[in-house]
This record gives sequence, C-alpha cells and structure tokens, in this order.
Amino acid sequence: MSCPNPIDAAVLADYWLGVLASREEESVEEHLLGCDECGSRLREVMGLAEGVRKLAREGSLRMVVSDEFLKRAAEEGLRVREYAPPAGGSVQCTVTTEDDILIGRLAANLNAAKRVDLRIFDERGIEQVRMTDIPFNSAAGDVAFQQSITYAKASPSETLIARLVGFDDEGRERLLGEYTFNHTRSLPGPGAW
Amino acid sequence: MGTGLNDGELVRQIGSGTNRQAEAELFRRMAPRIRLYGLRHLRNEQAAEDFTQQVLITTIEALRAGSLREPEKLVSFVLGTCRMTVLDLRRNAQRKERLLEQFGTDLLAPVQPPVPCLDRDQLTRCVQSLTERERAVIVMTFYDEQTGADVASFLGVSEANVRVIRHRAIHQLRDCMGVAV
Repeated sequence: MSCPNPIDAAVLADYWLGVLASREEESVEEHLLGCDECGSRLREVMGLAEGVRKLAREGSLRMVVSDEFLKRAAEEGLRVREYAPPAGGSVQCTVTTEDDILIGRLAANLNAAKRVDLRIFDERGIEQVRMTDIPFNSAAGDVAFQQSITYAKASPSETLIARLVGFDDEGRERLLGEYTFNHTRSLPGPGAW
Repeated sequence: MGTGLNDGELVRQIGSGTNRQAEAELFRRMAPRIRLYGLRHLRNEQAAEDFTQQVLITTIEALRAGSLREPEKLVSFVLGTCRMTVLDLRRNAQRKERLLEQFGTDLLAPVQPPVPCLDRDQLTRCVQSLTERERAVIVMTFYDEQTGADVASFLGVSEANVRVIRHRAIHQLRDCMGVAV
C-alpha cells in the first residue's frame, strides 16, 4: 500500500543524522514504525550516506576540504599526503601506494573575496577543471584542495597549474595565487602511461 | 507471507492465546522497522539486531498478557518500548542470553533488510556533479557527521543555509542515482 504522507528523503537524512527537533523526530519515528515504504526510503538514504562515506575515505573525490575533514581522516588512520607550494611557486610531487588522500594546500589572501573559483590547467595552459564558488574561510589564509587519489595514482608524470581566482562585490576577477604541481609518477603502471 | 491482518487484529489474536502464526507475522512486520530505529540510535549492526530481538520479545510478552488496551495503538506501544529498550541497553547489555533461553532461537532469527549498496562509479559521478558547496556539505555531513556550526563556518553561511544546501544535495543525488524523491 502506498504511503499517503511520505516523509521527504532529506528529512529522513536529518533523522538519520540526529538533527531533527525532538518533536519532529518523535513524529518521524512513529511514522517509520508503521510504514515500510518510508522505511525503505530511509534505507536508501542510509545507503547513500554510506556510499558517500566510502568515497570520502577512498580520497577519490576532487573537492575542497576542511581542516576538520583532514583531521578526521588522520584520526581514522588514513595517510594524507600534502603539498603546499607558495603562491607563484611550484612543488615536485608524487603519490605512493600507501597514500590515501592527496592535498594541495593553496595559500592566498582571501579577505577581499566574495567568491573564489579554483581553476586547474595543464602545462599547455588548457583549462582542465573549473571549480566554481568553492567553500573558503577568509580568515584561514589557504584552501585545501583534494585531488582524486585514484586519478593521481593512475596519472602519468605531468604538470598541473592551479589558479585561485577571487571575485569582489562588483564581480571583478582577480588572481589570488598560482601554484604549479610537477607530478612525477612513481608507481608502476600501464604501458600507455 | 503476510496474514493480511491489520495491527489491531494482530494484537487481538496474540492476546487471545498462544498464536504462533500471529506472533510470527508481528515479528515479520515489525522487525525491519524496529531494526531501523535501533540502527539510528545505536549505530551498530549487532547492537541493532540485539535491540530488535529485545523489543519484539517485550512486545510479545505484553500482548500475550493483554497489556495493550487499545490494540490499534500497537505502533505507539512499540515506539515506547523502543525508547525504553535503548535506555535499558545503554545501562545494561546483559539480557539477551536469558531471553534467548526463554524464547528459543527460531523465533528470533535475525531479520536484516539490506541497506542498498550503490554503484560506486555512478555515485562518484553524481557526487562530483554537485556544486562545490553541496559536495562539501554532503561529504562533511556523511563522512564526518558534521551538521551544524562547523560546516556553516567552513562555508561562511548560516546553519539554516547548511540545512537547505544539504536537502538540495540529497534530492539531487537521489535523482542522479535514479531514485525517485
């Protein structure tokens, strides 16, 4: 029988995370104890949560992460390899089979920026990725960019250039920093590489 | 196979005497739901399994004794039992063996509705297709179980906005994974 008042998946996620107000949580729990359809949806949300958690542990997502994320990863025993080239500078880098998470820490003055984009170029200057409106803490003075470790482990030796671009209130664009990563492949790989 | 009885009829049949078929139907119907409650509050598969068994046994005991005066309120009764059992489990995790001796293991076979295992590559593409802020919220939420102030601080937005972003991202992920919202 179809549920006449299905609980939204996002509310079920809030329930799973334990962030609902007590009265709403009580209402959700009573509903779930009488409704297999919403229970099934909750299991889907739990599966989604578990899937995302696994992806995060694998370090296979390309994204900006917080220091809390890196702290948690280290506490879990994950090996975090971090490179921090100065703005305008470069760094020699590689990954090994033991590495779980790969971070490029990009130092920049973020104070005046209302929005920050992170753009990744290859050595020919061709843009590979544009990450629009990344999360940043203006007081932090840097951005922790996670490159997919899966990609890095499979990648040939190559040079990647990261550019942090800030936008002010009027939408004017300004280069906040450029960082060159000279990646040397140290893992044995397919002949194509 | 279900008996087709509603909750109230099930309660009445169990209360009318030893009715193993009605009791089995109650277990079949309620065990997956109770287990979800247990997973949510105990965060552990085995603990949720033990919890499910305890709640069901307590419920059956009460129904056999005719303690539930309004049979249609089975769900409310089970919810109350769930709450008491979580508190009890946190105080003392020793009841299981005694209960197993009393009721036997056949009735108490674990019921494990599976949590779906998603296609990893598809999920990667879906997570990667979120906006940067949505992705950050989802990862911080599900990996680190951060939901409030820390995420808000990282994004430079209010906690209410974090909730909005989280909800939007969950809908988009489910949509991308081919699950109707």
